[in-house]
Order: sequence, then structure tokens, then C-alpha cells
Amino acid sequence: MQQRSGGWKVIHQWLEGNEFKPFKFQEDAWKAYLQGKSGIVNAPTGFGKTFSLFLGVLIAWIDAHPKDYTHKTKNGLQLLWITPLRALAKDIARAMEAVLQELNIPWQVGIRSGDTSLATRAAQKKQMPEILLITPESLHLLLAQKEYPNLFKHLHTVVVDEWHELIGSKRGVMVELGLSRLKGLRKEQLKVWGISATIGNLDEALEVLLGPYHNDGLIIRAKLKKNIALKSVIPQEIENYPWAGHLGIKMLPQALPVIHDSQTTLIFTNTRSQSEIWYQALLKEDPMLAGALALHHGSIDMELRIWVEEALHNGILKAVVCTASLDLGVDFRPVDSVIQVGSPKGVARFLQRAGRSGHQPGAVSKIFFLPTHALELVEAAALKAAMEEELIESRMPVLLAYDVLLQYLMTLAVSDGFHAAEIWEEISRTFCYQHITEDEWLWLLSFLTTGGDALGSYDEFRKVEREGDFFICRSRMMAMRHRLHIGTIVSDAMLKVKFMTGGYIGVIEESFISRLQPGDSFTLAGRNLEFTLIKDMTVLVRKSNSKRSIVPSYQGGRIPLSSNLGRMLRQKFNEALSGKSRDPELIALQPLFQLQETLSHIPKDNELLIEKINTKDGYHLFVYPFEGRLVHEVMAALLAYRLSLIQPITFSIAMNDYGFELLSDQPIPLTLENAKQLFSTDNLLIELQTSVNATEMARRKFRDIAVIAGLIFQGYPGKHKANRHLQSSASLLFNVFKDYDPQNLLLKQAFNEAFFYQMEEARLRETLERIAVSKIVITTPQRLTPFCFPIKVDSLRDTMTSEKLEDRIKKLITTND
Amino acid sequence: MDSVVGEIFHFQQQHWHLLPQRAIFWEEEKTLIVSDMHLGKATHFRKAGIAVPAGIEQEDLFRLQQLITRYLPQRIIIVGDMFHSTENNDVQYFRVWRQQFANISINLVKGNHDIMPDAVYEQLQIQVNTTLTISGIHFIHEPCDDHNGFQYTFSGHFHPAFVMQGAGKQRLRLPCFYFGPHCGILPAFGHFTGSATLDPAAHDPVFVIAGKSIIRAQ
Repeated sequence: MQQRSGGWKVIHQWLEGNEFKPFKFQEDAWKAYLQGKSGIVNAPTGFGKTFSLFLGVLIAWIDAHPKDYTHKTKNGLQLLWITPLRALAKDIARAMEAVLQELNIPWQVGIRSGDTSLATRAAQKKQMPEILLITPESLHLLLAQKEYPNLFKHLHTVVVDEWHELIGSKRGVMVELGLSRLKGLRKEQLKVWGISATIGNLDEALEVLLGPYHNDGLIIRAKLKKNIALKSVIPQEIENYPWAGHLGIKMLPQALPVIHDSQTTLIFTNTRSQSEIWYQALLKEDPMLAGALALHHGSIDMELRIWVEEALHNGILKAVVCTASLDLGVDFRPVDSVIQVGSPKGVARFLQRAGRSGHQPGAVSKIFFLPTHALELVEAAALKAAMEEELIESRMPVLLAYDVLLQYLMTLAVSDGFHAAEIWEEISRTFCYQHITEDEWLWLLSFLTTGGDALGSYDEFRKVEREGDFFICRSRMMAMRHRLHIGTIVSDAMLKVKFMTGGYIGVIEESFISRLQPGDSFTLAGRNLEFTLIKDMTVLVRKSNSKRSIVPSYQGGRIPLSSNLGRMLRQKFNEALSGKSRDPELIALQPLFQLQETLSHIPKDNELLIEKINTKDGYHLFVYPFEGRLVHEVMAALLAYRLSLIQPITFSIAMNDYGFELLSDQPIPLTLENAKQLFSTDNLLIELQTSVNATEMARRKFRDIAVIAGLIFQGYPGKHKANRHLQSSASLLFNVFKDYDPQNLLLKQAFNEAFFYQMEEARLRETLERIAVSKIVITTPQRLTPFCFPIKVDSLRDTMTSEKLEDRIKKLITTND
Repeated sequence: MDSVVGEIFHFQQQHWHLLPQRAIFWEEEKTLIVSDMHLGKATHFRKAGIAVPAGIEQEDLFRLQQLITRYLPQRIIIVGDMFHSTENNDVQYFRVWRQQFANISINLVKGNHDIMPDAVYEQLQIQVNTTLTISGIHFIHEPCDDHNGFQYTFSGHFHPAFVMQGAGKQRLRLPCFYFGPHCGILPAFGHFTGSATLDPAAHDPVFVIAGKSIIRAQ
């Protein structure tokens, strides 16, 4: 019996000695592991999911070496532990080392990430530790080293931690590719396990982790539930609470009692700029918080962030204002309250943030929802209902990411080179590339060797050399450049910010700084700074006493509403209309609903509301499908396109999670008679493709693709200037590919990403089908309504036109005269 | 070619044909003026393993060739940044291309990208100068802000684009020709070049390139 094995007994004795009683899912995981299975452990944080796999590996080791496991050293790498976050690695390593010491197992635990010192790397190369904690990027960096197969000679287990975080992104694809190589090296001897929080598509997550042809994978579910108490902070005077906005500063006085009554509070905001503003405003409102309040977001200096995390552990801080930067990561025991400012836009994210408080198994997680504008309260009610029904979003795996594959092939080319047939075999067994065609594969290889087709005798393309079936990069320069570029997290060019007198503050987007004049003030890391000059890729600043300062708006801050939450939202509007709701949020909003009803209409479940309003800006058309901004963006483009077939017309388009707006300088030809036709699913795909936005969306997607595929040269750290002749923007590259190489696979990928991920074509179709059986209500309010106001003030706009370029320009000139 | 329409701008007592191919034909001097061609840029990238499409410079030169056969200039002035970087095979391509028009003189006003040895330009029959003045009209790569003593100055370097805004929050950004009080700026001729947004004074003439035609924007 496995239970009676020597290793099992040793571990049980140790657990009992520490008065730990293993959860059932942990024992299930050990059993499955000892039977040689692979799979996923599904458990919430705070319940010992690390031990569910780590101890299994130890049991197997003790069983295999019952006599000498207490003094056997230099065993080579046994267990590779992939984690998305560097900060996580340190804490897990600490926990593992403690267990190993108590069990008298002389294993080494190593960490490999961007922070690992050169000396440590060299030592690891000589003698790998038995356990290595690593990020997906660093794993690929290992594969980019000469003679890398030697490192993995004894490897038998790979664990991918926080798999739910990785699966929906290109970092997940990096994990898939890394695993495919390790499986290629170790064949059947490799066991692969994932650890994942609950997501809507856990079965698919298993397929992605093990590949579509796996036959020995299983999911071990913890069946433990976390208790979450959600409370909305309701504005005292809902009539005077703003209809639009995204900061929520007006509610700040009502947040203070929560902070005072708790031991430690995490205040989650959705953007970095918002966190900066909240930090400042909290200090102003309650100066006593100085020293006990901290700020944590992705643009703040790494060391400062680590300090904040340590201080959270030690319970020194009263509150931390943060962004998604603290979504993940280790548990901070002192945290007993969480405040969410503004809608989190998804059930899973909300649960995760709520779970950051009350960690002890069985404890209640307290989360306070603080709306940034009135209508957001409906989202709180919807979140509550969605949580009760456990409507948790799925994370869609990325498919056919040619950019990541190109990067990976280059990685293999700069280390030992690769045989195309062998790698083809491996990658076509991954989930991401299971449908790749041979033509596409050949194109990718030729892209690396000859730079695509269209070769003349004048071509000088150089990258990877081909020797029959063998591909290798022999240029040391290119190999070095490639190693610096491994990874799929693409950000805007970031500049370091330092004081004139020295002292590093953080990083900031180049595009923001380029709009400032010397002498202007801005806020970073909670400080007011005066911009002085840019030198060697560094922004030099001094302290500013200016009362007014600009808060940088960072890209990527806007998260769209998930479809689960959208559905709940429509339900809640329905309930509000019935007047029978018992949600405190909906009751509080009654005055606003009444105003909406008086000015226009509140749509019922089977209705689509359209508002036509004229202002000095022009003719507005507002449509409210409540499907989230991504779907609205596409629907708006589609509707604009179809309207533009009726007559030459130009629209500017805006949207939020509730609806979208078309704005034009001429009356918009939408009527009750043609409305149904304008929202039909006829010719949907073709008309989507012709709508101008597809190109613009693809252009935006192309930025990341170009960087990942190595088309954009970001320069060497600290050596910016030397390579300026190789600088070009992604937008410019997109143009030249579109004009000169339209068959390019990376271009195709950009359009695919725009269509299938961003446009969510399937969801759009469902929405249109819903509208087809709905009643369309068109109102013509005399002034802006509570529904349309937040959309109208949105400044991010797209354009859709059927007028000739020349005509548009002439019109622009006349209106300006 | 015939569907492409230029705009004849009478300015400084001269006739300037502003062409949507991103060039100016100076009627009185029978001179074609272009700027910022950045020949060899794509090849420079490809040599470094960055697979931008090949053949961009061939197309750029074909466009120049079409302009030459149409306007039959005696001289071509390039207001800087003719080649993008160090010597590569595109220089050889240009040498062959150049032989078709051996009788046309080419004047290059040196830009910050024009870094090849003098001998290379000599071989290509290109006269290189830091500045050039013809009939009182001055050519220099980087635009000057103040009056420099010449009747008028033409520059490049900036790759100008102009933003137009109007009712319904519409916005368009297009490459342009700009005529300041003392100095005019040409659009970048090369296709593989970006652009920078210009913020001109309200009364300075600006002509935008709208597809196949030129439109005066202000």
C-alpha cells in the first residue's frame, strides 16, 4: 500500500509533530503523484496548495532512497517550480527550506529570475539545486544557454503555480513551449502538475497544461469555500453623487472609518494614476496616516515595492493603496479588510482581491465596494449575485501565437541550435499550436533564415543559418540581443525617474514625459516632482512645491466587463425597474432611476434602449446593450459601418461597459423602421472585416506582436543612443507590412487577435441574436440622461467613415473657418 | 500617374508644384526637390536580423523615377537624409538606378543620417554640401526658426504631419508641406519613415497629402 510506504510515514510523522492535519485534497494529490500521474490541483489560497505537491515529491524521494535520503547531496535538478511572480518565489523557497531542514533532507532550493545574481547563475550552472523556482521568462533563458539539456538530466517533476494567471496570456504559451521541450528531453519520465484557483474552464486548463493528447491527467479539487462578506459603501447623497468619473475621491471620507476600524487595509484601484491620486488624497484627509500608509504599483521602484510587501507582512502599515500589482502573491496575514475602488469588472478578479483579507482557513474575507460613479452601484449588486451563483469567468487560452513561437525558435537557435523535425513534433503536440499547418511552419523557419520571401540579389538578411534540417544562430551579437529580449510582457518605453541629487524614484512612460515642459510638475510614487530634463534615458527631477501637478495616465488601465457580470447587470437593472429589489445598492439608486425614466426610459430585459440627443457637439446616438466595452466597441463600429452605407457620413465613436455612442455632424439615419435590420446578424463576418476598425484594432495588437517576435529593437540597457538607426515604431512597421508583405503571418496574427480575442465575435453574435428578439425603444431626451452621461464624457474615441478623404478634409476646413 | 494631382503654389515669386508623391517640382529652375528618403533603411534592419519587408527602397526609387520622367528635371535636390545609415547593398542598387539618369545632377544637402564616406557619394555622382543656395533660395537639412538672411529656406528632417479637427470630434493626421515665415519643411519622401505632428501658426500655409491629391489645410 502506498500509504504504508516509508516516505509517507516520515511525512505523516512530521505533520503530526507540528500538529498539522493534511486536507483531503492534499492526500489525494500525493496519491495521484505517487502513481505517476500528472494533473491540476484546484484550491483557494491559504489552504496549503504548495504542500499538496511539494510533499508528494519528497515522499517519492524518501521512498526511492530510504537509507540515505538524509545525506544524499548533489542530486541534480529534481523539481522545477514555475511561478508567474518573482515575489512569490522567495516566500515559497523559504517555506520549502524550512520543511527540508526539519526533515533532514539536504536539498538545495534555488531561485532563478531576472533578479538572480551572475554569481548565483554561474554556481547553478555548475551544480543545479534539487529544486529550482523559476519564472516562465527565466525558463526560456535557460533554454537559450549552450548545452542546456545537461541542466535537466535528472528532472522528473514540473509544477506550474498560479496556472489560472498564466493560461490566458502569452506567458502561458511560453510555459507550454518550455514544457514541450522538457518533455522532449525527458520523455515519459516527466510529471507535470498545475496549481490553479477556480476558473470557468478548469478542464480546458488541464488540456492546455498537458497538451491535447494527454491521457493520464486529472483534476484534484479542494472543495473548500472561502467566506466573503461584500459591503457597498453607499454615497450619502445619491442625488448629488457624480454621474460619471472614475476616481471616487468624493467617497474618500466614507472609506476612512473602514481603515481606522481594521488592522490593515488594502485599497485596490484599477489604474496606477488612480492609486497615486488616492494616496495623496488620503494623506490630505487624514494626516495621521503619514508613515502608516504606502503605495504599491507596477511603476514604483522594485526595492520600494519589496519594502512595502515586507512591511505588510510585519503589520507595520495601516493601509496600502495598490493596483493589480498586489492581486497575486503571497498572503499578508495582518490584512483584514479590502476596499475596492470602482468596479473590478469581473467576478474572478473580485474574488481574488477579496481573498487578500482574512487568510486563516475558515476566516471571513471582508471587502468593501466603493463606487466611483452612481451607476456603478448596480455593478456591486450584480457582483454579489454572481458570487452567490459562483459564476466565475473562463480564461481563454491563446492559440497560434506565431510571435511567441518565433521568439522560442530563436531561443533554441542561439543555444545549441535545433532540428526542425524534432521541434515540429514537440510544438504540434501543444495546445497552442495543435492546428499549425506545415506551410505556416515553413514560413516561420524562412522568416528566421531569409527574412520572408521577396528576395532579390541585393538582400542582406542575416539571422539564423540553415544546414539541412538544422537551424542555428552563430552571431554572438544577435544571440546576446535575443537573450535581452526574451519575454512577452510588452510595455510602453519606460524611463527611469531620478532626483537631480541622485535617488531612484520609479519608472514612467516615455509618451507621458514627452508631453511635459521643463518646470511642469507631476506625481509619481506619491511625490510631487518637478520635471527638469531627460538625460541618458533617465528623467531628472527635483522636489516640487507646486500645488497643481499632473498625474500620469498609464496605458492598459482599462479592463472590460466580463460577460458573466454583464448578464447579471442586465438582471439587476430589471429588478431595479420592478421596484421590488431588496439590494441596498438598488434601493439607494432609486432617485437616479426615476430621473432616467422621466428623461428617457429604463430598458426591460426584452428591450434595447436607443437615445437620440442633439447637443452643440453634434448629433448623438446612444445604444445600451450592457455587454461590456469590448463588445460595444465592435458593435459601434458595425452599426456605424451599416449606417454609412445608407449615406456618406463620418462618426466618432465612444463606449463604456453599459453602452456606446455614435456622434456625427449630421443627423443619423436610424429609425424604428430600419433599426432591426441595422442590428441583424446578416453578413456579420464580412461586414466586420470591412469596418475600418479591424485595421486599427489589428494595428494596436501588432505592437506587442512586433516586440515579441523581435522586430522592434529596444536597445541594450543603458546604451540607447548607439542603435538609433535601428529604431522604428510598431505602427510604421504595421504600415510597411500591410503595403509590402500582406501575407505576413505576424500581420495575420494581429488581425486574428483583434477578431477572436478583442472582438469576441461569438459574444457579439449572441448579443445581436438577443437584440433580434427584443423590442427596440427609441427616445429623444431633451438633455443628457444618467445613462448616456458617462459615455459622452469619455475621451477615448474611434472614427468610422464612408466619406471620401478629400471630402472630409474639405469639410473640416469649412467648419474651422 | 495622370490621376495624381499636384497643386501649383505661387510663393516667393516662384512656382512650386507640390506633389502627392511627397516631392516639390520647382518650375523656374526645372528642379525636383525631395527630402528624407532614408534609402537602405529596410536593408539596414534586415542586415541586423529584423525582417521588415524587402523592396521598400526599390519602390521609393520607382516613384522618384516616375516623377523624373514626368517633369524632366535638370537637377534633383535632396534636403538631407538620403541614405539611412552605413553602406549596404542598396547603395549598389542605387548606382545601377542612377545610370538611367546620368545627365541629371543630384545635390545632396547633408543631413544627420548622411554618414557614408565622401568617396561613396562621389562614385554615385552625388554632389554633397552642408547647405545649398540657388537663386536666393537656401536649402539646409534642419529647419531654422529665425530669419537667416536668405530670401527663403527649405528644410526636411522633421517629417511633418498635420492634425485636422472638426465637428463631431473628428480628427485626421496627414503628412504635409509646411511654409513658415522664413523656412518651409518638406514631407519625408521615404515610405519607411514615421512622422511628427506639426503645430504651425494659424496663418502659415499648410498643404496636406490626401491620398492622390494635395489640399490646402490652412
